[in-house]
Amino acid sequence: MDRLLEHAKSLYADRQRVALAAMMVAFSVTLYLFYSPGIYAIPAEPPIQLPPGWVQGFEIVYSFNTVGFFLAFAVMVFMYAFWSWAFLPTPAVNYTSAVLRGIFGSRSQITQSIGKRFRVFLTGNTWIDLTCHIKEPGSGAWFVYRLTSSPLHTSHLEEMAMRHGLGTKDGRLTAWVSSDELHHRSILLAKAMSLAASSA
Amino acid sequence: MSTDDTRRPVYELIQLMASLNETKRAILIALGHVYPRSVSGVQLSRLIGYSGRSRSLYRGVLAYLEQDKMILIDQLTPKLYAIRINSEHPLLQLLVDLCREFGEETRRIYLRALEVE
Repeated sequence: MDRLLEHAKSLYADRQRVALAAMMVAFSVTLYLFYSPGIYAIPAEPPIQLPPGWVQGFEIVYSFNTVGFFLAFAVMVFMYAFWSWAFLPTPAVNYTSAVLRGIFGSRSQITQSIGKRFRVFLTGNTWIDLTCHIKEPGSGAWFVYRLTSSPLHTSHLEEMAMRHGLGTKDGRLTAWVSSDELHHRSILLAKAMSLAASSA
Repeated sequence: MSTDDTRRPVYELIQLMASLNETKRAILIALGHVYPRSVSGVQLSRLIGYSGRSRSLYRGVLAYLEQDKMILIDQLTPKLYAIRINSEHPLLQLLVDLCREFGEETRRIYLRALEVE
């Protein structure tokens, strides 16, 4: 794996650990905040004849405090999920854009958007979309890219894709690419796209 | 003219092989040599000297190769897969032909490795 990606990987693992630790602290703080001021029970009839201790316990669990606590916890989980969905560690961004600029020229227009996505603009109103996955859940591979071309209008798309080792979906060329294939398979994708454009 | 027609696929095949990473390249070379035999996942990971877990080979490598129509995977039983090269693929067809024509010795090595179990 590339040195930059190694760096990005360890950075990501560190940040994950920090996030987990922060979440544990936030969890205990919210637990304290939501249950210390007093219990606001949701009015309800206890289901059957229960001993009074059970009814008290029931009121604590079935209360607005619990609803609030769960909401706060859900917000925390959501923020964590958003963070890991949206951001790519900086070294990985540097690696990706260095590879892309190496192929498509240092003046090529590359935009980066939230959600670990990149878009490279090629000549003639075509572009390549890249989505980076930091860690694949199935295989455990780090930094896998999904390449998608802009829609192509040609009748031999299927064959053209095969000849370049690519797949097709909805009239676009697609490929899953590991980080060490990124360089060469982007070249092939760009080549296939220009062939498709000239044959249309 | 005719040499152009035969050499263009060779160029494309070289480009295709160059674009894949080591594991995928090893898989296609091995499968191209043992064609028309199909191999199981365990056999394949031994053939290519893969040290990772076979689950990661399926999910991370074989699934993508199948998506790009380079290999065919038949599920024989829930745990047993038959993996072979897609000989209908315009470029891999050429690879298979080349392996058959010039790769007799290599083929023997692969087949021997498959036999010893």
